[in-house]
Amino acid sequence: MLVAPVLIFLGFFFAYPMYEGLRLSIWDDEAVLPLREGPSLKDSESGRLSQGVTVEVLGRQGNLLTDADATDLLTETWFRVAVTQPDGTTVDGWAPESRIRVREEGPDGTPLSGTVRPKLGEPDDPRTTLRDGPGEGGTEVAFVEPRAPAAIVEVAILEVWFNVRGTDPGESAQGWAPSRFIQVFGDEVTGRIDRGSAGEFTTEFIKKMFNDRFFDPAWRTTLLLLVLIIPAQFALALLMSLVIHARLKFNSWFLYVFTIPMGMSDLAVGTLFFSVFTGNGLLNSVLEGLGIIDSPHVFLSSQTRNWIILAIVVAEIWRSTSIVMVILVSGLQAIPDENLEAAELFGASYWQRVRYVMLPLLRPSVQVALILRTILALQVFAVVIALGGGDTVTVLTNETFRQYADFRNNNVAAAYALFVMVLSLASAFFYLRTVRTDTEIER
Amino acid sequence: MTERKFDVLLPLDSSEVQRLHRNMKRRANRGRVWTYLGAGLIVLWILVPLFFLTSMAFTTREAVRSYPKSVLPFIPFSTDTVRFFLDQPGVVDGLWNSLIVAIITLLLSTILAAPAGYAIARYIFPGRDLVRLGILAVRAFPIVVLSIPLAVFFLRAGIFDSLYSLAFMHTALTMPTSVLIIASVFASVPHELEEAGQVFGASALQSFWHIVLPLALPGIAASSIFAFVLSWNEVFAAGVLTLENRTLPALLLVQLQQSSDAYQFAGGFFLMAPSIVFMFFIRNYLFNMWSQVTK
Repeated sequence: MLVAPVLIFLGFFFAYPMYEGLRLSIWDDEAVLPLREGPSLKDSESGRLSQGVTVEVLGRQGNLLTDADATDLLTETWFRVAVTQPDGTTVDGWAPESRIRVREEGPDGTPLSGTVRPKLGEPDDPRTTLRDGPGEGGTEVAFVEPRAPAAIVEVAILEVWFNVRGTDPGESAQGWAPSRFIQVFGDEVTGRIDRGSAGEFTTEFIKKMFNDRFFDPAWRTTLLLLVLIIPAQFALALLMSLVIHARLKFNSWFLYVFTIPMGMSDLAVGTLFFSVFTGNGLLNSVLEGLGIIDSPHVFLSSQTRNWIILAIVVAEIWRSTSIVMVILVSGLQAIPDENLEAAELFGASYWQRVRYVMLPLLRPSVQVALILRTILALQVFAVVIALGGGDTVTVLTNETFRQYADFRNNNVAAAYALFVMVLSLASAFFYLRTVRTDTEIER
Repeated sequence: MTERKFDVLLPLDSSEVQRLHRNMKRRANRGRVWTYLGAGLIVLWILVPLFFLTSMAFTTREAVRSYPKSVLPFIPFSTDTVRFFLDQPGVVDGLWNSLIVAIITLLLSTILAAPAGYAIARYIFPGRDLVRLGILAVRAFPIVVLSIPLAVFFLRAGIFDSLYSLAFMHTALTMPTSVLIIASVFASVPHELEEAGQVFGASALQSFWHIVLPLALPGIAASSIFAFVLSWNEVFAAGVLTLENRTLPALLLVQLQQSSDAYQFAGGFFLMAPSIVFMFFIRNYLFNMWSQVTK
């Protein structure tokens, strides 16, 4: 099928991120930590504890590590050693790295041989225990004297598991979990669940977004901009499309100029209007040239919030009216000339023709344009940054970017994005219900 | 809606009709003057800021700092500002990155969208309207919603901060527009021509290659250019998905707060230049696209 590549591509780069975005904002990947009966992933689950719960550390044990890239894990290293006893016999067994002092290393850093470390102080039994396998769980096979020479035969790296007990509100659980999920405090008997390994539905990120101190100004400003921009923009777009529809001389050139802003990025338009509104910019120069002001007026500063909003409104109207115009013109082109001629013959003035013939027939186009523009206005971003810096005046997309880039909080960023999407869907639904097309009204 | 029956009601040469006709003409002429005036004002509204920024980009840095400002014929023409901008760290790389991403986007979206556009224009298949609607929905959905999860995914997949992954994202964004423009182009090539070719013995592929494609080529080129411009302009996703390999808009976005006026103005000029050039070639195709959607 010829459409298949597009659908596959959009599935991967549109549907998937959409789903992933939804998941990021309402799903906490590290919410809970399943505990196991024993120190192995094969053991069955004995309970679950949420992230942040304080736990008692009851025991620890090392497990042979299978994957090599375990750099940030808490690990124990065990040596398999062949120790020559003072009586000349050789015994073979495993001892932790801390019990063997390495004296000789290979060129690549692998330990080759060493001696058994003496125990500090005056212990009851100065001898070191060798076991039949790495880890404290192995059975004891031999006891070796301190300072006995030991050949290191094999090295094993163990991942430490902790046996923990804790109380999640209401329910207590006990079991084993790998050390990477548990943060043990200095006293070595208490700790907390650092992060979970299983996901859970959560409203935490959405709550965080609602409680964010930028949330309130962001959505208020976004909606304010929407209300200020859209009506003025549609009026201007209607004028522009009527000009194009009048088929003047040089119509093609008018059309070209009218569509230039459509191809411009919001950032470019932001800088464009920065150059107009900035302290020594075009507007001040013109106003002073006309003798209206004596010294440059400061439009864009943290004290002139309203001026910044006005500048954003002007810039957005300048930038995005073209697309509305294009949609309206293609709607106008679909209106048969006969309709307008008939109205004219019956004595309708130009404005009457616009009001009673063109506008009603333009309804479907207006509907599409309204939906598109509202959704795009909810995404206004670079213009705001360029004109206001993003702090004095902030919008929802700016907060998404701030959460992502400055706070490194992808989940809350995704929650903001989700909020933008919900607003978009709601507005599209609103227009589909309120701006009914003429087919529904007349026929 | 209305049929013309007026000639039955009034004889055409009656003085009444002639008077009406004269009035209409006079009114139309007066209307035309107003329309030209309106058109002129709108042209000024669009061109004055553009001209101002362009003149700021092509002058000395002293002129950029001066106040009150005048525009190009009265201030010295110089490439000083532009050269200063290009000498800043990362700018030339950013230009290259933008160019590379935009070209990959152009190629990918054209290659993927052309068959789909043809299918939508020519064949009636189950779910055709759904595909059209879905494609429009992609156009309307927030880039913001897509960028963050894609960034997380790219990070995990180890292709974060690569020009390719950004180009993929841009392709997804331009795809709907490309498909719709190309569909409108193919729809405007009469199906009869293709059939005629087949009647004279060409295979379906041959008649497509020799008859339809040459006629559709300018339109396809327009959609490619549009994809290029969209990618060149895109700020948010570029800012989120790149770190070291910044494209020009992403670079400008992060530099904006701590850069001089000269830097901003010259940067703005580079961002808008392609659209000024390319809109000239593609303006007419935009209408076809939207008449496809609203009909």
